[in-house]
Amino acid sequence: MMNSGSVKHLAGHPFDRRDFLKVLGWGGAAVALSGCGNGSVEDGKETVVSYVETNDYMIPSISVYFNSTCAQCDAGCSITGRIREGRVLKLEGNPNSAINRGKTCGLGQAGVQHHYNPDRVREPLLRNGDQGEAITWEKAYALIAEKLNGVSGEEIAFLTGGVSGHLKVLLGNYLDSFGSKNHFVYEAVGPAVLRAANKKSYGVEMPRFNINKAKVVLSFGADFLGAWISPVHFSQQYAQFRKGVDGQRGVLVQIESKMTLTGANADRWLVVRPGTEGILALGIINALGTATGDIAAAVKGYDKARVSKDTGVSAEQIDKIVALLKERTPSLVLAGSAAEGYAHGSQNAAAINLLNQVLGNVGKTVEAAAVVPFPQMAPATGNTFALKTLNDGLNAGKYKVLFSYAANPVFTAPGAMKFKDNLAKAGFKVAFTHYLDETAMQADLVLPLDSALEDWGTQVPEYMAEGAQINIQQPLMEKLHANTRGMGDILLALIKLRRADDYKKYDDYYAYLRAAVLQNKGALGGGVADDDTFWNETLSKGIIKLASAAHALSGKAGAAGLSLPAPSAIDAQYPLQLIPSVNASLRDGRNTNQPWLQESPDPLTTIVWDSWVEIHPRKAAELGIVEGDIVEVTGKNGSIKVQAYLFPGIHPDAISIPLGRGHEALGRYAKGYGVNPFQILDMVFDKETGELALHETRVKVSKTGSRVIVVKDEGPAGGSQMGKKIAARLPSDKVKLSEEVYYVG
Amino acid sequence: MQRFLRLSVLLLGLFAAASSYAADAPPPALTTEDDLGPAIEQPIEFPHFRHAGDADKGGMQINCMYCHTYARRSLVAGIPPIQKCIGCHQSIESVRETPRIKKLFEYWDAKKAIPWKKVHDLPDYVRFSHERHIKRFIFQLNRPVQEVCGYCHGNVKEMTVARRSKLLSMGWCVSCHQQDHPVTDEGGTPIGNQAYWYSMHKPPVDASGIIKAKGPNDCSVCHK
Ligand code: SF4
Repeated sequence: MMNSGSVKHLAGHPFDRRDFLKVLGWGGAAVALSGCGNGSVEDGKETVVSYVETNDYMIPSISVYFNSTCAQCDAGCSITGRIREGRVLKLEGNPNSAINRGKTCGLGQAGVQHHYNPDRVREPLLRNGDQGEAITWEKAYALIAEKLNGVSGEEIAFLTGGVSGHLKVLLGNYLDSFGSKNHFVYEAVGPAVLRAANKKSYGVEMPRFNINKAKVVLSFGADFLGAWISPVHFSQQYAQFRKGVDGQRGVLVQIESKMTLTGANADRWLVVRPGTEGILALGIINALGTATGDIAAAVKGYDKARVSKDTGVSAEQIDKIVALLKERTPSLVLAGSAAEGYAHGSQNAAAINLLNQVLGNVGKTVEAAAVVPFPQMAPATGNTFALKTLNDGLNAGKYKVLFSYAANPVFTAPGAMKFKDNLAKAGFKVAFTHYLDETAMQADLVLPLDSALEDWGTQVPEYMAEGAQINIQQPLMEKLHANTRGMGDILLALIKLRRADDYKKYDDYYAYLRAAVLQNKGALGGGVADDDTFWNETLSKGIIKLASAAHALSGKAGAAGLSLPAPSAIDAQYPLQLIPSVNASLRDGRNTNQPWLQESPDPLTTIVWDSWVEIHPRKAAELGIVEGDIVEVTGKNGSIKVQAYLFPGIHPDAISIPLGRGHEALGRYAKGYGVNPFQILDMVFDKETGELALHETRVKVSKTGSRVIVVKDEGPAGGSQMGKKIAARLPSDKVKLSEEVYYVG
Repeated sequence: MQRFLRLSVLLLGLFAAASSYAADAPPPALTTEDDLGPAIEQPIEFPHFRHAGDADKGGMQINCMYCHTYARRSLVAGIPPIQKCIGCHQSIESVRETPRIKKLFEYWDAKKAIPWKKVHDLPDYVRFSHERHIKRFIFQLNRPVQEVCGYCHGNVKEMTVARRSKLLSMGWCVSCHQQDHPVTDEGGTPIGNQAYWYSMHKPPVDASGIIKAKGPNDCSVCHK
């Protein structure tokens, strides 16, 4: 609750957009509604604080709206925040963005809980033994300068999540200032293998996928309605696809080993043996019979009988898919994260992409994406390969100073990588962070960041929907905590310590951003507008749309170098394949401390606030497991104990545990809820890209003897209730939980 | 979040003067001693009588809505931003050194908000709209501003800091909403064109040709 002390004066630029943000508005002090007596309830007790100064459009009880960009994931949806009395209340999609057209996903909605989160770090903290001691920013900057003193560029490393826009430029310049090339970009669940495969198949890492133009979509584990690349965008395309092109309703066939949200929406869902997606793709090419030359030669061995035996997909199903693909063009084939996650992930993706080429989809439903004509602002992407390189360097004691921003490898790196131990070998670790997450807990200096709704920035989405666009991030309200700083402001302050002359003209990151945008006014579509007009319009739109050329697309990769391994034999000791699933709300777990995300039920299992392991009912019966059994999932790299959920949408030889939970830090809504499957992943890497093969972990499952009631939205009988009599209604005080009957498959 | 409900001078209504249109209905209860709210000490003893009072009593006769500018546009009437006070007072030298004005400038110079105490408070489950009442009585029926504000706020132009002088209970609100009020021919109000009769039939037109109807009395009008 605000009080008068938080009301600030405007910075002295009348009617500037920023100024309004510097004024905190109307707020009553503590409210105690003392009952419902006659007449007024609290006369003379509450304080009513008026503005000191305000713009005319700020009217108490009337909302104003400002555009910004969602920072909950990297898809870059544009948002419109509703602000009243100086407080942001609700986020909606900005209708003018081609990416999300006025919509957001549930994860995006929870953005306000990131901003108002009670566990945000509020002061710079310096390690003192086990404690973090609050220090001033001046001291923090001085400390960094001191630690960098006499350290060479090679001894400094900067770890980040995906970054783009001016922040990336500034970061690059900062690293330059001490001659370091060690920028490691790490996204725990980014589509790194797919990027590399796309580059080979289409000539670009991230083409546009026109789901809306396809008459049939064949998706190999691409959860485009849930968590894949740009889910809000794809969901809207999907709606158009379902309405149909030329009156023909699109047909979705989803092929995967574990049902995703997209799989649950498919017309036909086919379970495939984990890792054999590529074989199935080649089998389909073979069965289509239209390929010629080297492609025909490459798929020759993949006859239906063999493919069906390898993949577990029946010859009849293959025939049906082939018939569908022949009957309906254009189609679209998607290689999703499920296909990528193997030691031969690149090959899987290449085989699937090849199917697009054979079907003639390249240039139709797979199109070149528009490029932002400022390559220095394009998103820096990366995955576990980068982390591994950093990890090796840390292990060898190469780094004296390590910065980390927007990445939490202590939580997301496979436990076997021993990242936490290696991190300890870095001399001085600085974490720029919103929360004390697992990585920040290891840092020597923790610098608290402004929330995404308080900070300035630009963002360039990796997946461009239509034209190229640069997204604007701007504060929707005054900062909640006086001692947090924007990442841009921190970088600017740090770079000023090294290149004062170049940067002294910028008071803050806002000034830098404004100057940088105005400098390129022409290229950014500003035309002849004067600076203030263009800048204000840009902020008001929240998006800079750019006229730009598209990448060239090539669709002639052919089958050269394609070779898929035979499906791996079942490991006697660890007979099950672990699929760590990426769920639409929690993704890699960076947002788990937003309670709405914990509270919103998983779309397929309806479970809340906890992890679970999905086991096929047949496998469960074999192992004597019923729903709610706490089972131990053991692999070569450790074990975790988790409640069992019997799920028919999974291959019987696989089990699945969602990612994102099992935090040991981060905050009160995350810590101690569920388990973290990252910790037990096997260190298997994609052979071509060196990225972690997320689905290659082999495990066994054993009962521990304890059992719990799974907390979920569906009834205790789950899906098995269908077609049966409705259970007798009992008053809740009569239900004996110990006698409840569970679903036993 | 319904902070607006707790904001500032909250009430204003349909009351006393309505009786002139409804000769047959009993007049609303007169303000009694019991209705008088507690005297409230404010950070600055703001003299309403000086600003809004009649000229012959030394007042400036400033329209209530000049300062409480949000009232006609919003649920809440609002306390004006200090900037508004300063707008005039920076050029009124004669009172510049008086204790109250000195205090005002202290707040302004420090850019600190004045922690006014709320005088008219309603429970959070009541949604009262100043805008609606002002549009109806001031702009549609052309009643004098001070009279209209006074229905709920009493005779503020004779007060120093405001003091509640009406009960502001639900019964008290309803006592006015139950009266017959003149409405437009279509039965609408200027905002949202909401019909004043809820029983599906138009009330009879009386001898003078004026159509009258009661104020809104759906629960949901005030309890959203
Ligand atoms: S997909 Fe969801 S979380 Fe990601 S940017 Fe869009 S709205 Fe935000």
